[in-house]
Amino acid sequence: MSDPRPQVDAHEGVFLVGVRCNSCDHPMATPRPMCAACGGEVVEARFGPEGTVYSSTVVRIAVGNRTPPYSLAYVDLDAGPRILAHLAGPRDEVAPVASRVTLVESADGDPIVEVLR
Amino acid sequence: MSVWVTGAGTSHFGKQPTTSPAELAWEAIGEAMADGGSAADTQPIDAVYVGSVFGEPGVAMRALQGYALTGVPILTIENACASGTSALHEAAVAIESGRYERVLVLGVEHMSALFKGPIIPQQTDTEGRTGLAMPSLYAMEASRWLHEGRVTTEQMAAVSVKNHLHAMHNSRAQYRGDYTIEQVLASPMISDPLTLLQCSPISDGAAAVVLSATRTSSRDVELLSSAQRAGGAWDHRSPDVWGYQLIRDTARAAFEAAGLSPGDVDLAEVHDAFTIGELTTTEALELVGEGEAGRCAHSGDTALGGRLPVNPSGGLLSRGHPLGATGVAQVVEIVWQLRGEAGARQVERARVGLVETMGGGVAGVDGNACVVALLRSNDSKGL
Repeated sequence: MSDPRPQVDAHEGVFLVGVRCNSCDHPMATPRPMCAACGGEVVEARFGPEGTVYSSTVVRIAVGNRTPPYSLAYVDLDAGPRILAHLAGPRDEVAPVASRVTLVESADGDPIVEVLR
Repeated sequence: MSVWVTGAGTSHFGKQPTTSPAELAWEAIGEAMADGGSAADTQPIDAVYVGSVFGEPGVAMRALQGYALTGVPILTIENACASGTSALHEAAVAIESGRYERVLVLGVEHMSALFKGPIIPQQTDTEGRTGLAMPSLYAMEASRWLHEGRVTTEQMAAVSVKNHLHAMHNSRAQYRGDYTIEQVLASPMISDPLTLLQCSPISDGAAAVVLSATRTSSRDVELLSSAQRAGGAWDHRSPDVWGYQLIRDTARAAFEAAGLSPGDVDLAEVHDAFTIGELTTTEALELVGEGEAGRCAHSGDTALGGRLPVNPSGGLLSRGHPLGATGVAQVVEIVWQLRGEAGARQVERARVGLVETMGGGVAGVDGNACVVALLRSNDSKGL
């Protein structure tokens, strides 16, 4: 089965490979048959690498086969979609809301961001 | 056309590994069927609507055949945590449209055999696969509201204190306790900033109500309206935290259909799967003003004896949260309250009650489903 997570391309720079609507320009993190906003045609598009943290948490319980703790954030990529990403660095550190972050290379299929200092 | 709740019942709530889903359902159905007036007892059940999330396949028929409920249409609905109230909504619409006269609504869920820890999110979901646990979905709401200054950690903890205290008067609740805000905040961190005592448990349970097109006794409670919606897109354009807009839109539809406004509500059972959920929900329902939910929970406004008691049963946090059963259990609590049969947790002058259930969390949408229902006591002719 295909991996439902957003794909990150780190070959030349780091970008999230999603789709954008040809009609209304709405950006989406994952491929789909039509635009989530207007039903228009979508084409592959690249987003990021920088964005802003909308909200964040540290998961401290074992969920499935993941090892806690791990840090998660909803990130609004600049002119791009909101994605759920893991945070690089200490696994028990909460990303401050509104902080600036940048995509780094994925690990095990998870999108990862690090806080810009 | 009116819809009347003529019978209501539940099982015990809690981890009940030696009790089958059918046995849980039988406790609830038995109480609901024996609850109606004598006129109701002789009427046949025309159809059964069942809410269940994790099944198993055939859970409805396996339970219902034990109660001789066979040979009628049976439909099982999965709408995440709003499955039970989605079943209620569809049953009510079926009665209003004249399709059926008398319908049983059942919610049933047996979770303790499925999960040793938290619910494992669906691995086909974008965010589930990325590791977003259910508590984290709500932790993200809390994170955002803390950042916006719309709530404090103490106000969130106050919801847990209140609902655990309410459950002291509910013998069927899974948990109860007289905690302090400090104790709630000092319990183990689950997903920052939500601590253990701010999270609903894994539960087994069932609940049932009988809906009728005709009033059968003076104890019947009128289902004034119900509304059921699925969320629109939730993304970078959304002005509110996850679920907020869906709850508000669903509530407005329910109020409009009932010809009531939030100010008419005397008590509510709402979706407090996590403490922050009760706060975002009471604001989205417009039961309290914007930015007021945390203060209302902390000051006692939403406690038993307060201006607008919320979750007098103990809520999902304390009664427990067997997903498919939850919505129907909320309805049962409101029925008991509106009849004046809620014992030590009775809300004074309860005439109009609200039920809200919220199901999530498929990535990209503002909720899988939300249901808001309004019920009125039989003797409130003055409204």
